[in-house]
Amino acid sequence: MKNILEAIDVKKIYRVGKIEVPALRGVSLKMREGEFISIMGPSGCGKSTLLHVLGGLTQPSEGKIIIAGEEISSAKDGVRTEIRRRNIGFVFQRYNLLPTLSAAGNLEIAREIYGNGKGKQDESHIHEVLNLLGLKNKVKHKPSELSGGEQQRVAIARAVINKPAILLADEPTGNLDSENSEIVLSMLQELNRKFSQSIIMITHNPEAAAMANRLIEMRDGKIVPQDHDVSWNPKEDEIYI
Amino acid sequence: MAYSLVFSNILFRPMRTLATILAIALEVVLILLVVGLTRGMVNENARRLQGIGADIVTQPPGTSFFLATNTSAMVEKIADVLKTVEGVDAVAPVAVQLNTQGDLGLIYGINLESFNRITNGFNFISGRPFEKPYEIIIDDIQATSKKLKVGDEIKMLNHAFRVSGIVEHGKGSRVFLPLKTIQELTGTPGKVSLMYIKCASPDQIPQVTEKLKQKLPGYTVLPMAEFVSQVSSASTNLAALRYFLNTVIFISTIVGFFAIFLAMYTAIAERTRDIGILKSLGASKRFVLSVFMKEAFLLSGLGLLLGIAFSLLTQMILRQVLPNMQVELDADWMLKAALIAFLSAGLGGIYPALRAAGKDAIDALAYE
Repeated sequence: MKNILEAIDVKKIYRVGKIEVPALRGVSLKMREGEFISIMGPSGCGKSTLLHVLGGLTQPSEGKIIIAGEEISSAKDGVRTEIRRRNIGFVFQRYNLLPTLSAAGNLEIAREIYGNGKGKQDESHIHEVLNLLGLKNKVKHKPSELSGGEQQRVAIARAVINKPAILLADEPTGNLDSENSEIVLSMLQELNRKFSQSIIMITHNPEAAAMANRLIEMRDGKIVPQDHDVSWNPKEDEIYI
Repeated sequence: MAYSLVFSNILFRPMRTLATILAIALEVVLILLVVGLTRGMVNENARRLQGIGADIVTQPPGTSFFLATNTSAMVEKIADVLKTVEGVDAVAPVAVQLNTQGDLGLIYGINLESFNRITNGFNFISGRPFEKPYEIIIDDIQATSKKLKVGDEIKMLNHAFRVSGIVEHGKGSRVFLPLKTIQELTGTPGKVSLMYIKCASPDQIPQVTEKLKQKLPGYTVLPMAEFVSQVSSASTNLAALRYFLNTVIFISTIVGFFAIFLAMYTAIAERTRDIGILKSLGASKRFVLSVFMKEAFLLSGLGLLLGIAFSLLTQMILRQVLPNMQVELDADWMLKAALIAFLSAGLGGIYPALRAAGKDAIDALAYE
């Protein structure tokens, strides 16, 4: 399988006044199409920054990032936005649904942004995703009328509705109880299995991390060099049926 | 594009939305009613002048077509001289006085006989012409708006008058007094403000006008059509009126600008996180800008509709309650009010929208 993402010696330094705070100190990473990677590490090790840099929400200070063959790291804001729109889906710990819109509205706005307000996307895929995430009866509800688990499922649906090359999930179960965490994780797994959705997921939960094909550990802005590949995952057979 | 988001956003804070819409409506109402009232009064005055039926009007030197500003400075006896000019059929000297007691309006001091020759007489709805010095004739609009009937007493020029007759409106003024009485009360015996002249035939108007100009050098001698046209265009030609209208329009625009600016500025502060979400979904700066500008224009559009509706309602109510207050709302000024409302929305919305579009996605997502 070809690489869908490649990060080469990525560094990110934040400046707080005159002080430089390195968040990423040279991260290199390759991701194959359809892979499910989980990233673990202590708070402040740079996991979220890595996700933001990979998703083009911010530029790295140094290094190169290539997503689906396009270099995003040195691109201007407008180009990064375009690459993000076409290739990236985000899921956040706090769901980040637009509170004024219904679940359907949140999906619709993602489609509008993806299509630049023009044309209709693949309706069958939308129905498939809604079915898969068990949201068929919840589409008219506002986020405030949904449980945390339901909100996160809507957020996942919104993130994958436009078939992004990569789904970036930043602690998607961080705000959920164990029951809902399990549902959300199994749905991510199902998306990866059924639609070969490439996923990078940050988590603090070792059980959640174990659901991925590969586990990456980070510490002090670097990847700890003990990359586990697919053979590490004890549930491999369940994933690739 | 993103209309559902725009609509849901404006419904999310109904009170703020309502307050903004009302402020825009106020802007539109201010423009439409002030302009409409000015134009209504001016045009109605012009129509009443036309209704007199005179062919030529003569005023003393240095006077204005804005009759309320004039004093009686023309010798009444000039009328006798003008009657001798070839082609002149009748001359009606009129003393015009601005009434400030009760309401603002022109009072005509007339000599019934000469005025009737010009106007072909009043159509009396009730009562009779004045016969005594302190009797007064009013038109039906004045009677309705002041709830007056024949025999009632009204105060004008610091004197009590009894209504002797109510006539159909449309002949110069709404209130008519005997010429001698008004001359006495204003301390200008034998003086008038202007003279209306009727020609023996309409074809003779240009020649008679020329002859009168020769007879009365320095005096204003105008064919009535030209005089009426000057009065009609007072709202655009009269500098003071123009400044007044422009000031009202400017203040209204400022009201609209601040209403939209504050509403959008608050909305953007409140929805910082939403902006981050849109950006994480791949929304461009242009998309974010367009969402907030559409919101500003939608608020403005709703305010405009409410403002027009409120102005039309006010016009309707005024017609019933105060028929002497004429408000003219035309499509031309509605379009101008719309342009002004959208201009203030554009100006008020652009800075907050640009701020929203320029927000950093990560900072916006981290906003609490």
